[in-house]
Parts: sequence; C-alpha cells; structure tokens
Amino acid sequence: MTKEETLTSFLIETQARSYRLAYSVLHNRDESLDAVQTAVCRALEHQDSLRDPGAVKTWFTRILMNACNDLLRQRSRVVPFPENGEEPFGEDPEPSDETLARRVDALPREMGTVIKLRFYEELTLKEIGEVTGQNVNTVKSRLYAGLKRLRVAMEGAEIS
Amino acid sequence: MNEFKNAKEEYDNTPIPAGLSERVQAGIQEGKARYRARRGRTVRRWGATAACFAILLAGLNLSPTLAKAAAGVPVLGGLFRVLTVISYDASDGGINYAVSVPGLEADSTLAERVNAAIQEKMDAHLAKARQDWDDYREAFFATGGTEEEWAGREMDVIVSYEIKSQSETRVSFVVTLGEGWVSSMEERYYYNLDFSEDRDLTLRDYLGENWVETCNAAIERQIADSVDEEGFTFFFAPEEGGFTTVDETTGFYVREDGTVVVCFPEYSIAAGAAGIPEFPIN
Repeated sequence: MTKEETLTSFLIETQARSYRLAYSVLHNRDESLDAVQTAVCRALEHQDSLRDPGAVKTWFTRILMNACNDLLRQRSRVVPFPENGEEPFGEDPEPSDETLARRVDALPREMGTVIKLRFYEELTLKEIGEVTGQNVNTVKSRLYAGLKRLRVAMEGAEIS
Repeated sequence: MNEFKNAKEEYDNTPIPAGLSERVQAGIQEGKARYRARRGRTVRRWGATAACFAILLAGLNLSPTLAKAAAGVPVLGGLFRVLTVISYDASDGGINYAVSVPGLEADSTLAERVNAAIQEKMDAHLAKARQDWDDYREAFFATGGTEEEWAGREMDVIVSYEIKSQSETRVSFVVTLGEGWVSSMEERYYYNLDFSEDRDLTLRDYLGENWVETCNAAIERQIADSVDEEGFTFFFAPEEGGFTTVDETTGFYVREDGTVVVCFPEYSIAAGAAGIPEFPIN
C-alpha cells in the first residue's frame, strides 16, 4: 500500500474515535463533524509531512486538535444570542453535573485535553507531548494539576 | 482511578451521527485533490513503476472481498458502503495516473453490476488513454518532431469519484474519467442507487410522472437565463444541436438537500468552454 492508501484506511477506520475526541472538545455535533472533515482533508493534503507512518496516530490527533481549536477560536469571535428557554441546537445530552466526565469538561482547556488524551484515548505522556507540542514535563504537570482539581485520588494511579 | 472508568465509558458511548462517514469521505476527496494540486506537475516518480502498475492493474478486481480488504473495514450497519477500492498515483512513459476508483460493498446483485460496469469503463478509459498517447507520439515524430522537443511532454489520466449524497438505503455518486494533454476531455458517469430495492433510481422516481416536462421547463428557463445582454450564450440553439429534451439516458445526481441535478456531456449541448452543463431541477 502507498502511504496515501495507508493513511486513507487509517482515517476511515478511526473516524468514530476522531469524532468522539472532537466532540469531547466542542460538545456540538455539527462543529465536531466540521472538525473531523477539516482534519481528514488537511491530513491528506499535507501527507508528505508524515515522515514516520508509525506515528500516524499522534500526527493525526494533533491535526484534529488543531482543527478543534480553530473552531473554538472562531466561536469566540461569534457571540451567540440564545433565546430564552431555547435549547442549544445540535447537541447531545450532557452527562449530569455531578459526574467526573462533566468535571473534566469544566477544566481549563489545556488541562482537560491532557486528561482526555490520557484517560479516554489512553495515550502515553510522550504521545500526548507529541500531540500538544509540549515536552513531557509540561504534560506531566498539567496532568497532576488537572487531577488535583478533579480531586481524584492519585494513590497507586498509573499515570505515565 | 475507578471513577475514570465511568467517564471513559461515557466518552466511548458518545453517539456517532449518521453523517460522519460521508463527511470523512468528503474530507478524503478534498484532501487528495488539494494534495495533487499542491504537488502540481512534480509527480513523484516511482522506482519500477511499470512493475507496480502491472500488479495494480492485475488487482483491479472489485470483488466485495477485495473491497473489504482494501479499506480494512467491516460493514457496520446500513445496507452498503462506498469505498475507494483502488487509489494510486504513478507515472509511466510520460503518462501521469491519478486514479481513485470507487467500489460498492453490499450483498447485492446491484452492487456487483455497478462494480463491474465501473471496472469496464475504467479499463477502457486507461486503454484508450494509452492509445491516444501512442498515436500522438507517433504523429509527433512522423511530422518531424525531435526527441528534444518531445522531452518533458506529459499526459494526465484521471479516474475519480464523488459521493453527492448518501442515506441508509440510497446513494448518488459520480465517476469522472479524464484525460488531459494538448486537449482535455472529461467523461462522467452517474449512479443513483437504492439498496433497499436493489435497483437504479430514475428521474421518474424523484420527479414523478411528469419528470420530462419538469426537467425540460427548468432547463429551458436556465438556458434562457444564461443569455447575456449582448445576446450571447454558450448553449447551442435547439436547431443547431442544442438542448431539446431529457430522456432515460440523461445523467443526473442528487444533492444532499435532495435537489436533483441533471447533467449533459461536455460539448453535447453547449460549447466546450461551458464545461459539463449542470441544471438543478427545482
């Protein structure tokens, strides 16, 4: 298989994962679909920048997270005017406020990203560093800070 | 860390919208097109291209098994899937190939028939392109051209497809076969399929009994609207071979919003500069 074929298969096979990750950042169905489509398009357009096909997962996750961040930036420029009593459109029901999932969502974005990649996507700290463009120590301190805020016991926790 | 088990479970159960695979396909098509455009003519030359190419051509058997293996995905829900079963870029003897061939994965005779038709058209297209190129080369040297003048001449051969719309049971897609060198030509084939009934969909299915009148009225109106203030239009007058009526052979596709778009071959009812005329039928 050529690199493009391998990459295309990877993008198709992992589409559900990509969507979940985008949704965990954006919490909006349409925006998450946009982010996935944009990331898939960018990945193929810039396929030459994938030097090591073994690193495709972190490489693509980075592209996807960047696409999500672009959408968040756009969102901050457009201030919505929700009508009274109107439900936000295109969103799936959120977990109740008490759950850990909800508390993870409420974390500052960078901390939340590290927590989600570590515990939902089960990436290693090194991989998270590759995705976010940070060194491992920064990733580690964000992870600890995030866990502290979540008040999750870390005793015996395997975090690296 | 047990708490994270529940959180991860919730995360893993994020509902996946039905439109996801279409959006991924759209991203794939656009990304590939942009990649080609970006590279322009600096097509990467493969070592032993000819050998690769022979193997690829030999492997162009669009059986469901191959289709499944090619994309490495099982059929999850739904009655069918459209997959890129063959995708490659290669350069051989001055011809640049950019080939992306769709295949239908479904347990149905309709899928088998359409896959076979696509393969046949693609085989004929590639053979014709090579013949055209050989003829051109021969004519070039027969009329006094030199090796020096010939050097660097290249031809592009394109096979691509685009999914216009897709639902649980229906799909509308367009396969494009193109050749580009001193002149360019593009042929398109339209597929509108219903897998719940295992059959081709027709304009009658979408527009009802009066489909001919409906189409003709919409097309005539759009041709009339295309005339500029100086009375010029790319469209030929009916008596000069221009548009007269749609019929069973008229190609069309269906947009995501359900709009039927009727298409005519290049040069058939308008000057080549108009490209492939398309008429949304409202």
